[in-house]
Amino acid sequence: MSAYISLPLYMLTVPARYGLVAKQCKECGLINFPPRPVCLSCGGGGFDNKKLSGKGKVYTFSILAKGGGPAEFDDQQNMTGAYAVAIVEFEEGPRVIGQLTDIDPLPENIQIGMEVKTTLRRSYDQEGVIRYSFKFKPVK
Amino acid sequence: MKAGILGYGLYVPFHRISGDQYKKAWGNFSAPGIKEKTVIGYDEDIITIGLESAQEAIEISGIDINDIQALYLATTSAPYIEKSASSMLAVALKGGEDIRTADFTASPRACSSALLAALDMSVAQKDSCSIMVASDAPLAAPDSNLDHSNGAAAASLIIGTRDPIAVLEGSYSVAKETLGERFRRSGDRYTSDLELRISFVKEGIQDSVKGLLSKLNKKPDEFHKVAYYQPDGRSVSRALAGLGFKKEQLAMGEIASVLGNVGAASAILSLTKVLGQAKPGERILLASYGFGGDAISLVVQDGIKSYQQKARSFDKALEDKKYIDYIDYLKMRRFLSSITD
Repeated sequence: MSAYISLPLYMLTVPARYGLVAKQCKECGLINFPPRPVCLSCGGGGFDNKKLSGKGKVYTFSILAKGGGPAEFDDQQNMTGAYAVAIVEFEEGPRVIGQLTDIDPLPENIQIGMEVKTTLRRSYDQEGVIRYSFKFKPVK
Repeated sequence: MKAGILGYGLYVPFHRISGDQYKKAWGNFSAPGIKEKTVIGYDEDIITIGLESAQEAIEISGIDINDIQALYLATTSAPYIEKSASSMLAVALKGGEDIRTADFTASPRACSSALLAALDMSVAQKDSCSIMVASDAPLAAPDSNLDHSNGAAAASLIIGTRDPIAVLEGSYSVAKETLGERFRRSGDRYTSDLELRISFVKEGIQDSVKGLLSKLNKKPDEFHKVAYYQPDGRSVSRALAGLGFKKEQLAMGEIASVLGNVGAASAILSLTKVLGQAKPGERILLASYGFGGDAISLVVQDGIKSYQQKARSFDKALEDKKYIDYIDYLKMRRFLSSITD
């Protein structure tokens, strides 16, 4: 059984997943991404929308061998094998986790500090609905 | 104020498969004039690759995204039959919802239908600006000849009247009832082709281009370059040669040898390649095919020079690539997956 995010909940995250819309705290200015109801830094609840550039650097990474990913990525792993997951620090500050794509998932191909950018990709299928999310690819 | 193209962007997927892989697997590679083809990634579809090309067009042209009032998408391989791909693309591109969208489909000619709709909008609504996205990854059964040529790519054009790099001179369209060629019934996953030995391509291309030449009172040699639909590396260039177009007019628009058949993105990819090397004052023919044909004449403007300096060339877009073998191709395109497209 795979992790389940209900469609109403998923739809709330669409602006962040498709368009990298972050929430900037009106009180302390911290950019919160993914968006959350209260500011991570000061606990404030008022935000302005802020679109991230999509550019960032690999903070750390791991490679998930075939069979090592969460169940919703079973088909992806069956069809394409191992994949890399990175924590990426956006140039605006927030750190997020995401898959690396368009890269051979070998340790020698990925470095901490490597420049990456977001790319919207299909994530997985659930209930006949395609879930999309950003992944990261190397900047060439 | 003439309507025209303000900018362009393109996207070519990372993976490639060579014809040799087909020869090893099947003993033949039934894709005349194609050396290798692009393979859409497991995690990509026509929306995601279309978005990449649209983002590049917006970025290079420097157009304010809030000035884009409409998005027209052309494809034959949207992930849903009902659920608008253009709307998702627009939301992802604009980060907002104030935009008109439309999906053009059912034929590789969808790209020129979308382009003409965008150009018409510019004429009808003064100072309006729109984007047309041609994005396709046609899918045929792995044991059919059609699969051999099917590739994937996307290209976007920004359309408006403010400082175009190429303006519309005229267009001519024909519609034809063609049976047995490239069709997909509702509910079918794969495109079929009965391989009738009838030259539908020749008729559709030649009748639309002849109509345009006569309407504009032009001869083939008055066009410097030709951009055209390419289901393979041969059939359309032969049809155009039959009208008197020369090899050197057709050479620059050639894309099939390295992309394969990119369906409803084909003619626009060819156009972006031509625009990347065009000079001010040159006349370009765009020949689009599918159940008839659209022939469009464009005249290149002075602004092309500064655009070319900012733009990524066709060759550059193809540089970053990884070759895969036939088994990985079958898996990447989900032919071996129980979860279908």
